[in-house]
Amino acid sequence: MDLALSPAQQLLQQSARTFLQHRCPPERVQELALDPRGFAADLWKEIATLGWPGLLISPELGGSGGSVADALALVEELGRACFPSPFIASAVVATTALGRAESRRARDLLASLAMGERICTLALLEGSAGLDPGRLTGRKLFVPDAHVATDVLVLASGPAGPTALLLPMDRAGIAAHRLDSMTGDKLFELVLADVEIRSDDLLGAPGEAWALLTPALRVGALARSAEMAGAAQRVLELCVEHARVRTQGGRPIGAHQAIQHACADSYRDVESARWLTWEAEWKLATGRPDADAAVAAAKAYGGEAALRVARRAHQIMGAIGYSEEHPLHLFHKRILAASLDAGDATQNLDAVARSIGLA
Amino acid sequence: MDFGYSAAEQAFAEEVRAFLRAHPPDTFPPDGTDAGYGSGAHSRPFTAALGERGWLSLTWPREHGGQERPMGFQLVLLEELAMAGAPFGPLAGCLQVAESIIRHGSATLQREILPQIARGHATFWQGYSEPGAGSDLLALETRARLDGDHWVLDGRKIWSSHAGIATYGTVLARTDPASTRSRGLSMLMVDNRLPGLEVRPIRSLTGQVYHYEVFMDAVRVPREWVLGKPGEGFGQLLHGLDTDRFWGRFYKAPFLRRILGLLVEYVRAEKPDDAVARHWLAHAAIEIAALRALFHRAAWLIEQGLPATGPVSAAKVMADELGQRVLSLGMELLGPYGVLRAGSRWARLRGEIEHQYQTSWGHTLAGGTSEIQRTTIAVRALGLPAEPRGRG
Repeated sequence: MDLALSPAQQLLQQSARTFLQHRCPPERVQELALDPRGFAADLWKEIATLGWPGLLISPELGGSGGSVADALALVEELGRACFPSPFIASAVVATTALGRAESRRARDLLASLAMGERICTLALLEGSAGLDPGRLTGRKLFVPDAHVATDVLVLASGPAGPTALLLPMDRAGIAAHRLDSMTGDKLFELVLADVEIRSDDLLGAPGEAWALLTPALRVGALARSAEMAGAAQRVLELCVEHARVRTQGGRPIGAHQAIQHACADSYRDVESARWLTWEAEWKLATGRPDADAAVAAAKAYGGEAALRVARRAHQIMGAIGYSEEHPLHLFHKRILAASLDAGDATQNLDAVARSIGLA
Repeated sequence: MDFGYSAAEQAFAEEVRAFLRAHPPDTFPPDGTDAGYGSGAHSRPFTAALGERGWLSLTWPREHGGQERPMGFQLVLLEELAMAGAPFGPLAGCLQVAESIIRHGSATLQREILPQIARGHATFWQGYSEPGAGSDLLALETRARLDGDHWVLDGRKIWSSHAGIATYGTVLARTDPASTRSRGLSMLMVDNRLPGLEVRPIRSLTGQVYHYEVFMDAVRVPREWVLGKPGEGFGQLLHGLDTDRFWGRFYKAPFLRRILGLLVEYVRAEKPDDAVARHWLAHAAIEIAALRALFHRAAWLIEQGLPATGPVSAAKVMADELGQRVLSLGMELLGPYGVLRAGSRWARLRGEIEHQYQTSWGHTLAGGTSEIQRTTIAVRALGLPAEPRGRG
C-alpha cells in the first residue's frame, strides 16, 4: 500500500494551486459564470504554456505523456478553484478518445490540443445525428463550450451502428445555440444540417464508436469524481473558516455541536469520496477485473457525497451563502454539473448492481 | 498510488483462506455472544487456533516473540476472517492490549502477559465507563491507592464487553486523589481471578449477554501491573482510543460486504425482478466500498506514523451508521421473515439479519458515541473551537 501522490504529482498540485489562487480567484470564476459566453482565453493560453492540456498526450505529439493519476491530481486542484474551462471535455475525454483512434486527423488534432491552439468538445448526448452516406443531419444537446471549441467529437447513428465522427466546428451546416443553464456552464444545442462528411472524419471504424468512447468516458468519470472531491474539499474549508470567525451570542458558531457535527459529516464525505476515487484509479491503472464497477461506484458516490457537502454548506453559511456574490453557489453548481456528466447516478448504480450479481 | 497488498501479504491471505477452508468457522464452539462488529462470536478455541499459527503476534517486535510483519498482514488477517464470518471476537482487544504493553508496559507485564496473548490464552475487557461516567469519561470515580507493593483498587465499571469470560481487564482509575479531570489517572491491568473482583452480566436487547458490570472492592493489583507511568493513564487512553476505534471497526467493511452478499443471494432467489431492491443493494455496495477506502486511508496514515484521528473517527462513524442502514435494508428485504430468530423453521439467511440488526444499535454508542466522534473530528481534525465545558 502506498496512498500518497508521487513527488511529481505533489509538485503539480502545488504549482496548480498557486497558479489558480493567483490567476483564477473566486471573483474571476464569478465573472465568467455570469457572462453567458464567458471563457478565460487568457487562462487557457497560460495553462497551455504550463502543459496542462497536453498532460495526457504523448511526448511525440508535443504532450507530456502523463498518466490518468497525474490528470486526477491536477483536476482535484481545478475543482478546488472551481476553474471554469473545457478542460475535462477536451483535455481528458476527447484527448483519451483521440489517443485511441489511429488516424492522421486524430494525431494532428492532438498535437494542436497539446499546444492549446485548438479545443475539442463532445456532442454525445440526446437528440440524434443520422449518418447517411456522406451527409450528417440531426441535433445533439448539452454540448459544452461549443462557442470556443474548434473541433467536435460527434456520436452519430450510421448504417453500421453508433459511429464516432471528428468534425471541425466551422464545417458548413453546423450551428451551435446556447442553452440557458443555471450551473454557469456553457452548454449548447448543436444543429447538424446536411453536414458533409468526408472519409477522414471517421474516428475509429463505422459502428464502433463505443470502443473509443467507453474508455474515454471512464477516464472522464474519474476526472469528474476528482473535480467534485476537490470542489467539496474547498467548500468544507469555506465552512470551517466561516464557523471559526462568525460569532453569534458571543461565541463562534463553530463552537456549537450542531455546526461541528455538520462539518464533521462533510469531512467524512470529502475523505471517503476522495479515496474511493483514487482506489478506482488504481484499479483502472492496474487492470483489475472490477475496475469498471469501481469507477462507476466512485462517480456515483462522489456525486452524492459532494452534493451533500454543498447542500450542508448552505445551512452552515447561513444567508450570506445564498447571495450571488458569495462563491458557495458556484461550487454547488459546478458539483451538480459534474455529478450529471460522464455517467449519472442511475447509470452508475446500474453498473454496480451488475457487478454484485444483480442482472 | 498503490491500494494493493504486497505479494507476501497476498500469499498470507491465501494461507488464511486455506486455514478457514480446512477449519470451517462453525466448527469452533463460541463461548460469548457475537456483538455484530464483524468479528463474530467470542471463541476461545478459535483464538487459540490463531495463536497456534502465530497470527496473534504478527507485527510485534522480535524481542517480544513477534514476527515483525508489516501492518498489512494484520489488515489481511482481519479482512479474511470477517469475510468468512469467523468467531474472532476477542482479537481486536488482544491486538490493542499487546500494542499497549509493548509500548507502555513494565518488564513484568511484558513477560507475563505477552506470551499468553500470543498463544491465544488471554482475552481482555475494558474498564472505562462507569455508571456516572459515560461519554464524560473523566468524571470517573474508581480509585486506586498504593499500599506497599500493591495498588488497592475500589470502584465500579459498567458496559465492559465480555468481562465475565475474559481473563484480564484494563481499568482506568484515579491514582492521585488530589487530581481532577485528565491528570492523575492510571491504567491498571487487572487479573479477573483476583479476590474482591465481581462481575455481573447485563442482558442486552438481543436477549444475550455481552456487557458486564464489574465491582472492585479492595482488589490488590501488583504495583508493576500498571500500563505506562502512574498518572499518565489519560494520554495512554487517548492513544488507545484512536487505535481502539480503528482496530475495533476495521473489519466492518468486509463484514458488511458479506452481509450484502447474503442479501444479494436472497433477492436473486426470491425477488429477482425487484428493481427497488436492486437499486438499494447497489447503493449499499457503493457505500461499503467507500467505507473500505476510508479505512485503508486511515491504515496507511497509522502505518506511516502520521496523524489519523480525523480519518479514524470518520471511518468509525461511517462504519456504524452504514451498518445500521445495511441491516435495516436487510430487514426490509426479508419482510416478515426478517424478525424470525436463528433456529426458527422459517428463518431466512440463518436468522443472521435479525441478530445483527439488533446489535447494530449499540455500535453508534460503543467506543465513543457518534456524537463524540463528530466533535473529535470537528475540534481535532478541522480545528473548530472546543465547546465550553460545564465544569473544569
